[in-house]
Amino acid sequence: MAEEAKFKCLRCNHEYTDSYDPDKIEERSCPKCGSNSVRRLKEEASKG
Amino acid sequence: MTDVGRHPRIELLTYSEVAATTGFVGNFNVTVRRRARYVDEKECTACGDCLEVCPVVVPDKFNIGLSTRKAIYQPFPQAVPSAFVIDMEACLGHNPIACGKCLEKCEKECIDYDMTDREVTLNVGTVIVATGMDVYDPTEQDEYGYTRYENVITSLEFERLINSGGPTEGHLVRPTDRRQPERVAFIQCVGSRSQQRGKPYCSNVCCMNTVKDSLLIKDHWPETDIKVFYMDIRAFGKGFEDLYQRSKALGVQYIRGLPGEVEEDPATKDLILSVEDTTSGQLEQHRADMVILSVGVEPRRDMESLKGLFTLSATSDGFFMEAHPKLLPVDAPTRGVFFAGCSEAPKDIKDSVTQASAAAARANILMSQGRISVEAITSVIDPEICTGCAICANVCPYHAIIADKEKRTPAVVIEASCAGCGTCAAECPFGAITMRHFEDAQIIAQIDAILEEDPMEKIVVFACNWCSYAGGDFAGISRLQYPPNARLIRTMCSGRVDQEFVLHAFRKGAPLVLVSGCHFADCHYIDANRWTQRRVEKLWDKLEREGIRPERLQLEWISAAEGQKFAKVMREIEELRKAVTPEEVEETKRILTEKAKKPKKKPKKAKKEPVEVAKT
Repeated sequence: MAEEAKFKCLRCNHEYTDSYDPDKIEERSCPKCGSNSVRRLKEEASKG
Repeated sequence: MTDVGRHPRIELLTYSEVAATTGFVGNFNVTVRRRARYVDEKECTACGDCLEVCPVVVPDKFNIGLSTRKAIYQPFPQAVPSAFVIDMEACLGHNPIACGKCLEKCEKECIDYDMTDREVTLNVGTVIVATGMDVYDPTEQDEYGYTRYENVITSLEFERLINSGGPTEGHLVRPTDRRQPERVAFIQCVGSRSQQRGKPYCSNVCCMNTVKDSLLIKDHWPETDIKVFYMDIRAFGKGFEDLYQRSKALGVQYIRGLPGEVEEDPATKDLILSVEDTTSGQLEQHRADMVILSVGVEPRRDMESLKGLFTLSATSDGFFMEAHPKLLPVDAPTRGVFFAGCSEAPKDIKDSVTQASAAAARANILMSQGRISVEAITSVIDPEICTGCAICANVCPYHAIIADKEKRTPAVVIEASCAGCGTCAAECPFGAITMRHFEDAQIIAQIDAILEEDPMEKIVVFACNWCSYAGGDFAGISRLQYPPNARLIRTMCSGRVDQEFVLHAFRKGAPLVLVSGCHFADCHYIDANRWTQRRVEKLWDKLEREGIRPERLQLEWISAAEGQKFAKVMREIEELRKAVTPEEVEETKRILTEKAKKPKKKPKKAKKEPVEVAKT
């Protein structure tokens, strides 16, 4: 089931929210710079 | 089709579907589910006696509901084998028997209500996937009134309407009053070339189908007024431009502009099309007795199950992906599987026949040789190290690894199926897998060489052979400027990039590492690059846990045609590299070196070093 998740671009540091389906691997690109270095911010990870 | 049915060396399994497949090139085991016809196809002569007595009438799917058929029927007049089939959902005479009229009438006693589906297993060397396509359902484009106005029909419905074997025996009549239309309008690109509704690609066949239909109408009913509303006419095949010009010479009007709305005159049931003629910029209204929506084609709706059965992948348009768009256009990524027709892309009859001939020839080459040459780049599993965890079998896009997690027996590679992506080697946690020609030691040696001098100035780039590396080549031959300090390490697939390669580069002082591969839809190893993404995501987490900025590991999907993107990415990551300080790199080296020194938990069966295995 798709849910909302936070993402961060590791190229331009842009953070945004997008749909996320844990059962599906999708090609992601940053809406700001177009980079594919987009990391989903998990709770544990985002604390760091 | 009749020739195929009669051929002594062709076994035709109609009314059947593939239920399961195992094996590999030269040795596929295909389980086919033969659906119950409830009529003995060998005995039935299609005499039609049963039709006369069958009391059930249902819409005829072959004629797209424009006519009716009985519950016992022949799918279409030229069907091979020429035998009837019972539609059990409509039949009255089944469990408990309430009708049974066909049973009584059939002198040859072909009817068997108790017939059940059965499965047959075939051992075959090669497979040709020729599963065709579906057509776009224009219901969502409500402005054309397909569901509201009877005189708005699709091009496929029109095809049946003017077919001599169709519901009107070839007479062109409009559905509401069954009179011959005097004004016919075609609307092109319904469901094609749209980013919003339908499909973004050109369906290839619709323009010429409309030109052909317009000529058919003009041949039989020359006085008919025909208007074609289009974006642009794509008549690029041999002789097609001539047909288009012939159609125009016969008086068919081509109006550049797609109608914004189709309305019906309630009194006459005529249709009024509102359109902007983009050649004149005028808003116009045109009346027609009948509107034909030239609907696009789309991938079959059961593509997903077929993909699973034959380990196939699809391109972004949803059609099956070929092994190589230029050099292997009829080969599937799975060896021994070939494509013919619209399963691979929308195409007309001529192109379908051409591709079918090519696929048959490709299959024949393999079959007549009786042996195959396997890829030089395949994986090798050391049974002494393998713990039988079956991770490799799980990640292999080609199902080329046999492993039994329950028995914990060492995994085995089927070399005939292995395509050499290297994902298994990258995922094996015990180093039990060696990729021939792309061994760990070879790649580590490249990293060491790159970072031997001035590591702070270098960017280590892992690039896949088919896309990213070729994208870099394209940037080079296009004379595009990008920072010269990127050092490329080529792997067949980004799936080969072991996390240890990235960590080793950081340990050796790399300020920045880029992993790049094909776009998801272009992956030459079905879906191996999904594992790359998973691995990089894990690495980002790992780096962060160790106190290393995850930004220093970059990921990018670059196609062979994206030379400009390659150059842009290199410029961008050079800026990131400049932001990495020597202190940060030293700290990273310290953290990762200490981490590497810590003793790891030994796997149960590890007995040999992987490098030694590579030499054997």
